[in-house]
Amino acid sequence: SQGLSSAKAAEILVRDGPNLLTPPKATPEIVKFLKQMIGGFSILLWIGVVFSWISFGIQLAQGAESPFDNLYLGVVLALVVILTGIFAYYQEAKSTNIMASFSKMIPQQALVIRDGEKKELPADQLVVGDVVEIKGGDKIPADIRLIFAQGCKVDNSSLTGESEPQSRSCDFTHENPLETRNIAFYSTTCVEGTATGIVINTGDRTIIGRIASLTSGVGNEKTPIAIEIEHFVYLVAGVAVSIGVLFFIISVSMRYKILDSIIFLIGIIVANVPEGLLATVTVSLSLTAKRMAKKNCLVKNLEAVETLGSTSIICSDKTGTLTQNRMTVAHLWFDNQIYSADTSEDQTTQPFDQSSPSWTALSKIVTLCNRAEFRPGQENLPIMKRVVVGDASETALLKFAEVILGDVMNIRAQKKKVAEIPFNSTNKFQLSIHETDDPNDKRFLLVMKGAPERILERCSTIMINGKEEPLDSEKAEAFQTAYMELGGMGERVLGFCHLYLPENEFPDTYLFDTDSMNFPTSNLCFVGLLSMIDPPRSTVPDAVSKCRSAGIKVIMVTGDHPITAKAIAKSVGIISATSETVEDIAKRLNIPVEQVNREATAAVVNGMELKDMSSQQLDEILCNHSEIVFARTSPQQKLIIVEGCQRQGAVVAVTGDGVNDSPALKKADIGIAMGIAGSDAAKNAADMVLLDDNFASIVTGVEEGRLIFDNLKKTIAYTLTKNIAELCPFLIYIITSIPLPIGTITILFIDLGTDIIPSVALAYEKAESDIMNRRPRNKRKDRLVNEQLAVYSYLQIGALALGAFVTYFTVYAEQGFLPSTLLGVRVNWENNAINDFEDSYGQEWTKYQRTYLQWTGYTAFFVSITIQQVADLIIRKTRRNSIFQQGLFRNKVVWVGIFSQIGIALILTYGLGHVTALNFTPLRFQYWFVAVPFAILIWVYDEVRKLFIRRYPGSK
Amino acid sequence: MATLNEKKTCSERMENFRRFVWNPETKLFMGRTLINWVWISLYYLAFYVVMSGLFALSIYCLMRTVNPYEPDYQDQLKSPGVTLRPDVYGDRGLQIYYNVSDNKTWEGLVTTLQTFLTAYTPAAQHLNINCTSDTYFFQDAFDGPNKTKLSCKFTSDMLQNCSGITDPTFGFPEGNPCFIIKMNRVSTSSREACSLLYKQGDEPRLLEVDYYPVNGTFNLHYFPYYGKKSQPSYSNPLVAVKFLNITRNVEHRIVCKVIGAGITFDNVHDPYEGKVEFKFKIED
Repeated sequence: SQGLSSAKAAEILVRDGPNLLTPPKATPEIVKFLKQMIGGFSILLWIGVVFSWISFGIQLAQGAESPFDNLYLGVVLALVVILTGIFAYYQEAKSTNIMASFSKMIPQQALVIRDGEKKELPADQLVVGDVVEIKGGDKIPADIRLIFAQGCKVDNSSLTGESEPQSRSCDFTHENPLETRNIAFYSTTCVEGTATGIVINTGDRTIIGRIASLTSGVGNEKTPIAIEIEHFVYLVAGVAVSIGVLFFIISVSMRYKILDSIIFLIGIIVANVPEGLLATVTVSLSLTAKRMAKKNCLVKNLEAVETLGSTSIICSDKTGTLTQNRMTVAHLWFDNQIYSADTSEDQTTQPFDQSSPSWTALSKIVTLCNRAEFRPGQENLPIMKRVVVGDASETALLKFAEVILGDVMNIRAQKKKVAEIPFNSTNKFQLSIHETDDPNDKRFLLVMKGAPERILERCSTIMINGKEEPLDSEKAEAFQTAYMELGGMGERVLGFCHLYLPENEFPDTYLFDTDSMNFPTSNLCFVGLLSMIDPPRSTVPDAVSKCRSAGIKVIMVTGDHPITAKAIAKSVGIISATSETVEDIAKRLNIPVEQVNREATAAVVNGMELKDMSSQQLDEILCNHSEIVFARTSPQQKLIIVEGCQRQGAVVAVTGDGVNDSPALKKADIGIAMGIAGSDAAKNAADMVLLDDNFASIVTGVEEGRLIFDNLKKTIAYTLTKNIAELCPFLIYIITSIPLPIGTITILFIDLGTDIIPSVALAYEKAESDIMNRRPRNKRKDRLVNEQLAVYSYLQIGALALGAFVTYFTVYAEQGFLPSTLLGVRVNWENNAINDFEDSYGQEWTKYQRTYLQWTGYTAFFVSITIQQVADLIIRKTRRNSIFQQGLFRNKVVWVGIFSQIGIALILTYGLGHVTALNFTPLRFQYWFVAVPFAILIWVYDEVRKLFIRRYPGSK
Repeated sequence: MATLNEKKTCSERMENFRRFVWNPETKLFMGRTLINWVWISLYYLAFYVVMSGLFALSIYCLMRTVNPYEPDYQDQLKSPGVTLRPDVYGDRGLQIYYNVSDNKTWEGLVTTLQTFLTAYTPAAQHLNINCTSDTYFFQDAFDGPNKTKLSCKFTSDMLQNCSGITDPTFGFPEGNPCFIIKMNRVSTSSREACSLLYKQGDEPRLLEVDYYPVNGTFNLHYFPYYGKKSQPSYSNPLVAVKFLNITRNVEHRIVCKVIGAGITFDNVHDPYEGKVEFKFKIED
């Protein structure tokens, strides 16, 4: 066929659009942006802005002398909100972009016939009517109707959940497009064979496109960290508003003017709101996200970083995630003995005993009776990484042989194949006849492999230690035992036999005819069994045991057979070596399953049972068993399992790759899509993408997530502490009428200037103890900001306001105003009409001179807070351990933070000290050291506290 | 997440809150036992007592280290401020407007001057000594009573026509009003000579005025100022200015600068440093 012409295709492409799934409708950018503008503390700050402008308006109307101060304050506050909003928006957009770039990294190609020529085209260029060719290993590029098929099998598991490949032909067999055999679906894979088909649907109109659009119906839940931050915002906002209102009332009843009271209110709000904190949290999360991306966890949604850390149940796929997703020879049986093969990812040798002549015979069959071939040009790649054309079992055998014997292709070439019967489902064997490479031996060798019981039927002898012995009932029994044992391990078992054809009957000119079978296919010599399994990844058992010690329950959810599933679960430790299922107990005690009255820790639940279960029954299973495997489940049942886990109050992580997994991925607290095997729909629905499809990467992710939660606690504690130091000046100013110790603008310089880098630096802090030996946090009890943290920060370490006040009084005293003179001076101090204000030494001050002194006071207060925040930063490095246990210099970034903090303070004081609007003045150098004793005191106090915490753990 | 977002009814919330305040089963009051609360309160009490103690100690140390006679630094008082009497402030600084024919507009100004000068009566100045030297009055020793230093006498009669003694209305009704210029006290060991110069408007020019004391200078023997503790009875020397031939019904912008070594008047932010600016208008 000629296929479409390029011009026609282009025309249809314009009409139908590219062959892509439309990603779920994203929130409009402007909405996202506005959300950042009004989310969190922004509302409080906007209130501050409005109040500033209102008081500006009132002052302007009253013709007051300097109404513009309030206008500027309002503008600055608005700028703060807008800038932090833009920053948060930018951060979020950046992390989304990582995802976008990722999905573009692997463009899918399709082999299309256009203008009568075969062309490789990006799959998104396909249009309805295109003729495409598909071969084993390809992803189906669109919904196609087959017009030619040869041994074509497709893996529809991502669509229907059926894990067995299904054969496809050109015959129309069913009305339902999902059932008929002549349609292959977009995003499913062709496992073997070749086919040619005509594209009938593209993009969103494909079956999978329709399912994907349904997925967007499952709502997104709030992430645990979002809940925690909301909780924290409410807490701080509550404190801010209540203190603000309380002091508004106090100041009004103290006969301050309403206007002044409003200005105080703004100051209190600004002092209470950690303006920079949410930006800091975002930065910390994105730093962690970056770190996780390096460990193959690509996080789409920043908040998911922490969700992973609070995960308490992981529902994991088996194939590809826990296993290597390739069949590998695991066991051999010959000479009446079972041998184990190495199943690790990078095998280079096989250690089992290869001296027996039986093995030599078996290896010949394995090599010759195999149609799989390496793609050429891969000689330099490790054997396990080479691409093979052929089905999974044959590939496994080919690689197995290649590892042991080397250059299989050459061996085959030397033993020329003269006839072959490929495997089919009726005779369940594969046969080939070869010449030998021994010039003295003119016999043909007939080799056969297939289902063990079928092979055994065709044998009359069995090879033991290289000698053919008659196959008596005792030997047949031994075979049965081995077969059952290997099958019981969930492995796919193949039997192998051979026969040297007698030279006289089959001379080398003999013409073999596979249709008439003019050669013997019975009374063969049985040689051995090989069993294969998709082996667990070597890192997984360790990762599972890590999960266990971290209190995370790992549940396997697979479409595979229960026996295989259980075998893999046992080998990776999801079902531990000592625990038994109800069935195991029954079998051991030799009683029916119903009579087992002891609770089993492990359970293997079949998808068929699950179908008939009520949600209470499911809850019971989830509650009562610590080790659960769900086998033969469909992707839809995955959703039910996830919901069941969530009913237990667990934070559930779910892995998935298929399109039908997407609802479960969305429903899960954190959906983890497979980067290699995963469909785009799954990746879209997921919060995280595992770039290497490896379960172990999830565990590293969990570790990072827990670490960031701990570190965010530290960051918040660090930030909250200075709130008191910023708030006290206002409260004391209102009550005792001293000159204002610190200005609103100055506070903003602390919150958004000196404190930002140090608080981010805490995100780099290493874990204090093995965080993977802790249970996952209880999302209802272990809050990000709890009462203890807030109280300790506010009421105890908050006493660092003291040091700042001492500095403030020192500056005023040394310039002429002794502390006693300062009390109650506010009204005269701020009076523009008094230009000969007397100090403690009888000197007289103009208004500007006083104001300048006030700014010096601001600067001194600011500097003291900065100095004490250095101590605060150091104590916040740990929550239980002594700083000396944690190491003062291990986290270099903290030191960057400390130097930046002091550097910024120096620049503000001496560099910008002459810019009037900023209210900084160059400060005498000695004032930098007034607060140092207080900083040291904070450190010592906290070390003592931590000592008590370590001595008496658990006390409140 | 569903479990976290369970909607609770209002009564359930209230019940939960009541249970939090007082849980009869566990005998917990706001999440702690009563005795626990007592301990916590005691701890905080002790904590804050210690903190207050530390603060008091710091302030005590501070008071011990500061110089009782003169401030340690005068970073903001590089140059003394200058003020004017009568001092009536409008939206933009000093504004002295009055109507010659309307008593009420200037009586307040006259009272301000009279009140101001009560500190300069001979009775108020009786502790101070008469000084005649025209140089700085340096005192290293405490020669005055109660370990103080002596201060020079400045009495209102030195202001002659503007003293309020000969003319109790300070020339206001005649349209030739007196203004009194005062330089802020600043504790400094040496202060250079000072004199006055008047300028007006955008094109600076001298106004036709009489100065009292003549030449409009602060005599050097009033300086230096040793601080309140050393010179408790010190009073600032004054210069009075009597305006002559003022154009009526016109607003005059007047700057009065103190010229002297160590006195600057070019600080753009401070209109009262080393100078005093004011607006002045006499109406008929």
